[in-house]
Amino acid sequence: MFKRFVSLEWKQFSRSSYFQKGIAIKILLALGALYFIGMAIFMGSVGFYGIQKAMPNNDPVEVVNNFLIYWFLADVMLRFFMQQLPVLNIKPYMVIPVNRSTVIHFLLGKTSISFFNFLPLFFFLPFSVVLLVEGYSVIRVVAWFFSILFFTLSINYLNFLLNKINKVFYVLAVIIIGLGLLQFYGIYAITEPAGYFFNSIYNKPYAVLIPLLLMVMLYRVNFKFIRKDFYLDGAIAKETKEVHTQEFTWLNRFGKIAPFLKNDVRMIIRNKRPKQVLLMSFMFLFYGLIFYTQKAYQDMPAFLAFASMFVTGGFLMSFGQLVPSWDSEYYKLLMSQNIPYREYLKSKWLLMVFAVGVSFILSTPYIYFGWDIFVMIAAGALFNMGLNSFITLYGGALNRVPVELNVKAKAFSNTQGFNPTQLLIALPKILGPILIFYIPYKLINFETGIICLAVSGILGIVFTNFFLNHIEKVYQKQKYKTIAAFGEKK
Amino acid sequence: MISVSNLSKSYNGVTVLNIENLDIPTGESFGLVGNNGAGKTTFFSLLLDLIQPSNGYIKNKNIIVNESEAWKPFTSSFIDESFLIGYLTAEEYFYFIGDLRGQSKADVNSFLKQYEEFFNDEILQKKKYLRDLSKGNQKKAGIVAALIGNPEVVILDEPFANLDPTTQIRLKKIIKDLDENTATTILISSHDLIHVTEVCRRIVVLDKGEPVKDIQTSQATLEELEAYFNR
Repeated sequence: MFKRFVSLEWKQFSRSSYFQKGIAIKILLALGALYFIGMAIFMGSVGFYGIQKAMPNNDPVEVVNNFLIYWFLADVMLRFFMQQLPVLNIKPYMVIPVNRSTVIHFLLGKTSISFFNFLPLFFFLPFSVVLLVEGYSVIRVVAWFFSILFFTLSINYLNFLLNKINKVFYVLAVIIIGLGLLQFYGIYAITEPAGYFFNSIYNKPYAVLIPLLLMVMLYRVNFKFIRKDFYLDGAIAKETKEVHTQEFTWLNRFGKIAPFLKNDVRMIIRNKRPKQVLLMSFMFLFYGLIFYTQKAYQDMPAFLAFASMFVTGGFLMSFGQLVPSWDSEYYKLLMSQNIPYREYLKSKWLLMVFAVGVSFILSTPYIYFGWDIFVMIAAGALFNMGLNSFITLYGGALNRVPVELNVKAKAFSNTQGFNPTQLLIALPKILGPILIFYIPYKLINFETGIICLAVSGILGIVFTNFFLNHIEKVYQKQKYKTIAAFGEKK
Repeated sequence: MISVSNLSKSYNGVTVLNIENLDIPTGESFGLVGNNGAGKTTFFSLLLDLIQPSNGYIKNKNIIVNESEAWKPFTSSFIDESFLIGYLTAEEYFYFIGDLRGQSKADVNSFLKQYEEFFNDEILQKKKYLRDLSKGNQKKAGIVAALIGNPEVVILDEPFANLDPTTQIRLKKIIKDLDENTATTILISSHDLIHVTEVCRRIVVLDKGEPVKDIQTSQATLEELEAYFNR
């Protein structure tokens, strides 16, 4: 029976839509995956010597053990955010003449081959090999490696229990950030007790039983949990919370586009996928920290210009690139109703401009890095509002991938918007601000560069109608193709 | 109201719809029947400009539908669930459609009053998103939304499917009422011969994309249709 299940799974995998893409994209994807795997292996193999060099007084294993707790906490968070619950696929297996426990074992076992469980292997396996080469005790290293594997699998099973409670994610996020801050300011270091714990496991190889038992226990809990709820109205039932009609009358001031704005706001706050995007775009705000804190970039203002655009452009780019796709589930309605395309597009544009504005306000702490930086961010924000917004909308017209609104995007299956045209469209978004800033900067001075970047954005805003008209025409032209593509089942 | 000229649609050389001539006068209740793949939904999709004709055109109130969008203000439709916005409550959805059709919230509220019986207390104030309603209730919401704003042309694809018996009877009443008391042109497709003969004054049978029968409904129509399909 298991064999048949496995063959079904294989079919689901090999026939899924993202494998049906062009060969060029497959190669690109494979290269991308290889790159990440390669990086992990590289880090794993040179990590030992890197740590040895940076902290000559410490044993690299101890250093890794000290920080393992952060690795695991981040893992929990990432999974909560990205990993899908397995129980959702129970339904077709419910009436077939197979033992329930077989089905459940299969479903749970299946999750063990998740990408998230392989990720640590790519780092810890080479790291362990290096340890062995360096003459560390074989039994200890092997036990330690398996401990980490069992902990990872424990997190795998824990995640499904946690997923039932939505607030867990935010609690975890607060805990991790809190612990990080406490450690950074030297008030309390979680790495000490956690490090002690993991080092003990390393020093006493039989302690591998702890994570093993933890894993088995969590597996049993999950098994019982699903077994008990193996009914249509049990584990697989969608939770329907009570909801209230929201009027958003304050949006009425936007006149004709108000109905669209209202819908867009509801769409973002009521669906899993856009919420994910919202959170991601919040992360973009911290992008500047990478560039502004590094000495190396201080003399490369072109990179700073690029970073400044990114700081305020998170939502614009991650939301905007999927613009008609957000409405793919009911695109036919929009196309046959009394809807002027223009107003529809304008609502999306306004939403992006608004998001850039909010990001800009949130980025005020960057003043800490100097007014030059902040002025640059301001100019980047103007560029985003005036030009990037239109480029993104234009790119959206060429992106015809349906989006399931209320389903979390899976890690590494998110190839939506990943096609050569999209890559071409991404170029002006990235190179635009660099060139507009850098050429006048090189020829005249820093201020002129900033002014040029800002003016380009203002010009874009002035010519809003021109751009919208043009984009509207592109959308019109693509209408039938878009409808057909959105109608295809995923 | 609607006139079809030399309309055909083919995919990769296979013709799925071919209608040389069809005129639907204003105020008619028009029924379309046919087996799966006969081209009913294709015809409605062409009428709503959701797909492009391979040949010919459809005029809706003298507007060629794939050349101008001027037919949109007076035409409304419910084809399938992709005409619903899943993350809205029923009220929000009705107000949204109302907004698009120039109806204020108060207009929509008073409009919805007359459908209280049809809704059977399962649609309004349910504190649920449309995506969480049952198929039948989704359909109810979609059909009523298609009637908001006094459209001159209403297109419903299989409106009786998924509805419970009571609701089917109520829907028949609503359609007959529209037919008798307003100048609305109603286009319906259905697999249920009894319902369609009851509410439509004219029935066209499609087979493999071609109209094979065009009947003005009478006492004998149901028998005639049953005889035709009992091939």
